[in-house]
Amino acid sequence: MKFVAVIRQVPDGESRLRIQGDRVDLSGATLILDQMDEYGVEEALRLKEKHGGEAIVVGFGPERAEEAIRTALAMGMDRGIHVVYEGYADPVTVAEALAPILREESPTLILTGGQQADWDSQALGGALAEALGMPVVAWTTALELEGETARAKHDLDEGAEWVRVRLPAVFTTQQGLNEPRYPTLPGIMKAKKKEIKKVAFQGASRVEILQESIQEKTRLQKILDGKDPVAAAEELVRLLHEEAKVI
Amino acid sequence: MILVVLDHDGNKLRKASLEALTRARKLSEAFGEGVAGVLLAEGQAPVEEARAYVETLYVAELGPYTAEKWAAGILEAAKAGVKAIVAPSSRQSRTYMGRVAYALKAGLLEDTLESWAEGGEVYATRYAYLNRVTQKVKTAPPVVLTVKPNTTPLAEPLGQAGQVVALPIPPVPTVEVLERVQEEKKGVSLTEANVVVTGGRGMGGPEAFKEAEELAALLGGAVGATRAVVDAGWRPYSEQVGQTGKTVQPSLYIALGVSGAVQHLAGMNKSKYIVAVNKDPEAPIFKHADYGIVGDVHQVLPALIQAVKKLKD
Ligand SMILES: Cc1cc2nc3c(=O)[nH]c(=O)nc-3n(C[C@H](O)[C@H](O)[C@H](O)COP(=O)(O)OP(=O)(O)OC[C@H]3O[C@@H](n4cnc5c(N)ncnc54)[C@H](O)[C@@H]3O)c2cc1C
Ligand SMILES: Nc1ncnc2c1ncn2[C@@H]1O[C@H](COP(=O)(O)O)[C@@H](O)[C@H]1O
Repeated sequence: MKFVAVIRQVPDGESRLRIQGDRVDLSGATLILDQMDEYGVEEALRLKEKHGGEAIVVGFGPERAEEAIRTALAMGMDRGIHVVYEGYADPVTVAEALAPILREESPTLILTGGQQADWDSQALGGALAEALGMPVVAWTTALELEGETARAKHDLDEGAEWVRVRLPAVFTTQQGLNEPRYPTLPGIMKAKKKEIKKVAFQGASRVEILQESIQEKTRLQKILDGKDPVAAAEELVRLLHEEAKVI
Repeated sequence: MILVVLDHDGNKLRKASLEALTRARKLSEAFGEGVAGVLLAEGQAPVEEARAYVETLYVAELGPYTAEKWAAGILEAAKAGVKAIVAPSSRQSRTYMGRVAYALKAGLLEDTLESWAEGGEVYATRYAYLNRVTQKVKTAPPVVLTVKPNTTPLAEPLGQAGQVVALPIPPVPTVEVLERVQEEKKGVSLTEANVVVTGGRGMGGPEAFKEAEELAALLGGAVGATRAVVDAGWRPYSEQVGQTGKTVQPSLYIALGVSGAVQHLAGMNKSKYIVAVNKDPEAPIFKHADYGIVGDVHQVLPALIQAVKKLKD
């Protein structure tokens, strides 16, 4: 069996974003393995531990994204493939870049994040599945293999459902699927020696980002002292009624 | 042709479908192309309502939802040739439209706030980086575009019923639905509520949520929760607000005992007014709040309920 996790490197949500010349400048940001993708890495590892076989991490992004691939290797993935591409690429283009590699690897199943923490895209799972002629199960919260099929629970717009799906298939992750492990020190040491195959991608994004801006709503920040809770609550209700006019 | 995906609940079109129609008509004017609709259903579908909005309506009954079937239905309707496909944005649509976009090798513009055509290309604005950054993007036709709900005026009917065309659907037997787990629906829906009262770990346990429910009811709103609360089993997952939960944009968002993690902010930071109650004056949520009280939620929440009651009398 072969389990693939598709990952990207993104800025840590806690790190400050800056705008430089109409674009987000990530040079000061802490970059991490996307936490939604991390669920996919963890699930691939658990499937391998249970059923045997190989767990492979496939990363898309610039040279620096190799760090995120190393993180996945330190968590326990067996080897990595890095499709090197600088700058923004829309999910259809990313799927085009990854499809030949995934076809060649011919995995049992593929996992990727339900949403990307940088480009806020939710489409990569669907686009990859279409590229490979596979079914897709989105926002997966439980996954188990049953011979040639998998049983999975996933979120819908309203509620959730259990499905049985023919393999190979693509699964996108959702919180609840698992609790990702931390890389251990021996894991980090071993990861340094694991193979990362580099693949160049010549295509170009169909979608172009023209401008990025941070328009955080300026908040009033009228913060009251709650030592006297009754007085504070009454003042707050007054402000909401008379000033904000929302109640 | 500009094709618009009309989402519905079996009986009525969703409001977001009327927003998608408005966007589609705008593109139709710019490109000089007609608007057709596609109405896919598990069973029943509001055909009569839908045909009032389009010249041509493609219809198919597909049985239990899978992304494969929905994508196949839309691609079948698109066979006549499309400049753009417009759909309301939802978790499900953002998955099957990913399939559709790949199949057409289209430029995919997801969860857009606004969209327009200029010089034969389609432009849009959208949020990125967990809702913190606004991007302006562009792509060339064919374009697949999803419309963020509550961003666009609702379309009016045409005043003349469109032609209904039944779609032949190739079978795609890959996913079998075994069991639906319904979300319990009570009171105002979280995503449509004008007021949301969210409790975080600072609520201390499930009991305090009775008071959150009381405050929400007084304000005609809904109750939300953070992931910490849902993980602890205090509230159902359907109430979670944030990156992996629901996105809300009410007039008033009240965060009680919520620290203000980015993944939570991603689901509520576009609310009109944000109120925070937290005992820690350094809690990050205060930086995103219009109004706040530094204090113990167990003292402030009952006082808030009393103060609102007093105002109403
Ligand atoms: C991939 C991923 C996705 C995620 N998605 C989501 C999501 O969708 N939604 C979400 O909410 N989180 C999400 N998270 C989790 C998020 O990072 C935070 O852990 C979570 O939001 C914290 O919840 P909280 O504010 O309730 O708890 P805490 O961070 O523990 O904060 C509790 C707050 O309550 C205050 N407090 C304590 N006692 C009192 C009292 N008596 N009176 C007043 N205040 C008090 C404390 O000062 C503190 O600020 C996600 C995380 C990851 C990694
Ligand atoms: N790895 C990345 N993670 C997040 N955003 C990125 C990444 N690489 C590039 N970007 C964004 O993509 C846009 C285009 O990048 P560039 O082509 O390098 O100017 C920039 O505005 C960045 O915000």
